[in-house]
Amino acid sequence: MIWLETIANGILLGGLYALIGLGLGFAFGVMRVVNVAQGDFIVAAAFIGLYLYPWTPLHPILVIVPVALIAFGIGILLQRVLINRVLGHDQIPQILLTFGLAIVLRNGMVSWFGANSQSINVGNMRFWGFDFLGMRLGVLPVLVLVIAIMLFAALRFWLNTSRMGRIIRATADDHQVVQLLGVNYRNVYAIAMGIALALSAVAGVLLAMRGSFTPYSGADRLLIAFEVVVIGGLGSFWGMFIGGIVLGVTQLVALKLDPAGGLMYGHIVFFIILILSPKGLSSILTIKAFRK
Amino acid sequence: MSLLKVDELDVFYGDFHAVRGVSLKVDEAQTVAIIGANGAGKSTLLQAITGLNMQKRGAVTFDGKDIGRMRADLIARNGVTMVPEGRRLFGSLSVEDNLLVGGSSGRKGPWTLEAVYRLFPRLGELRKMQSSTLSGGQQQMVALGRALMTNPRLLLCDEISLGLAPKIIGDIYRCFDAIRESGVSIVIIEQNVAQACNASQHVYCLLEGRISLEGDPRKLAMDDITAAYFGTEQHA
Ligand SMILES: Nc1ncnc2c1ncn2[C@@H]1O[C@H](COP(=O)(O)OP(=O)(O)OP(=O)(O)O)[C@@H](O)[C@H]1O
Ligand SMILES: [Mg+2]
Repeated sequence: MIWLETIANGILLGGLYALIGLGLGFAFGVMRVVNVAQGDFIVAAAFIGLYLYPWTPLHPILVIVPVALIAFGIGILLQRVLINRVLGHDQIPQILLTFGLAIVLRNGMVSWFGANSQSINVGNMRFWGFDFLGMRLGVLPVLVLVIAIMLFAALRFWLNTSRMGRIIRATADDHQVVQLLGVNYRNVYAIAMGIALALSAVAGVLLAMRGSFTPYSGADRLLIAFEVVVIGGLGSFWGMFIGGIVLGVTQLVALKLDPAGGLMYGHIVFFIILILSPKGLSSILTIKAFRK
Repeated sequence: MSLLKVDELDVFYGDFHAVRGVSLKVDEAQTVAIIGANGAGKSTLLQAITGLNMQKRGAVTFDGKDIGRMRADLIARNGVTMVPEGRRLFGSLSVEDNLLVGGSSGRKGPWTLEAVYRLFPRLGELRKMQSSTLSGGQQQMVALGRALMTNPRLLLCDEISLGLAPKIIGDIYRCFDAIRESGVSIVIIEQNVAQACNASQHVYCLLEGRISLEGDPRKLAMDDITAAYFGTEQHA
């Protein structure tokens, strides 16, 4: 039973990991942009959440809404002012650019907020739990998983059914041809980056509610995001979700077996999957590609 | 006045001078053909006109407006669109979604989903299919329909018959009459000289980036066209 509970908790954590990967994977899927600063944006969002949640009405967890909106705006600005200028066949410039951005962001946060460990306090909810099939599960982790699933499903639904979603999918397929049809792909990219950062921001705030963070947490977050995206198969939508679950379960099971192991076993599983199936799990499971 | 006027256009790929001093014009409701061998610079010329290639020098005027430095999406919104070489459908999108993206340009006109399905009834039956699963001919119809959905005044078609069966080529070319009647001027690029001459009122032959011959296809001698096409004789 204790193992079942561990696996269940791994799935709950994995949903959050999937959400961390979604922003990175979405930006890559639409624009072929690898945002190396994604991890630090996630941490920055957590800091914004830290300062906003005391003012959030009803319940602290709702702070994800204003933080997501702010991150959306920052994403649009980031794409317009910086990344759109370095787009081209060569991907090195945008990687260097976002890498530089990551360093600036991290050091900025250290000097502003200090290096102390912080956490967003959701009050008593942190200790609430319930019994399910003989397992004891936390309310907050379950809520976080539900939010993650809802965001995955909502994004998929919006992409498939809305006018803008259709233009985003078309732009992801061929950003030159959309111009022949009157679409300014740079605007589409800006919106896509806004969405990517908003999703990451939600992940960052939820992570800060479940655990703690410091200005240096960005590198870990980015690594998780990378692993989720690669395990899922680059750009594969629900593949990413499964990637997150695989990582989450591996981490908690390994932690039970070897409490000193930390994230190492997750990385090992990632490595094994990468060797066995370089295109990610989705190529084995033949999950529908992200760009449906 | 000509709808499109290109004056002394040069286009480059880095140091490579792909289109050299090309001048041409297209009149209202006219069909113009551009022919030339592989690598002559036909696609490069169209990409420069549509704004996809910005490494260019010279003047491009559309409907009296200078579009030489305009962004590609704005050129499209002004009424110039292209069926690109190799079709380049949005492969992950359904047939209908491909067409609807074409309809997002915001230009009003006769071309709607219904009008495209009337022109290509087969597409109506296939509307929910993912476009990458279609046959070559069906894909070409989607590409053409998608371009029409922008309600263009000038439609550029880059080798739409490439790799298609003769019957399908015939079907597609017959549709040009309906398209022209809706008031659209057409530029076709073809490697098939006979096809191009049949369908057009004026033909330009491109050779190594230069115009080697132009004129009314009914008045040009086949020998002259062949010579201009392959560069076997010196033409000014
Ligand atoms: N992206 C590119 N970079 C460098 N050179 C290019 C590029 N695209 C085309 N070229 C060169 O420019 C010249 C003209 O090419 P273009 O594609 O315009 O010819 P084309 O007449 O359309 O030929 P085809 O009938 O094969 O389509 C060719 O010599 C080609 O090699
Ligand atoms: Mg060509």
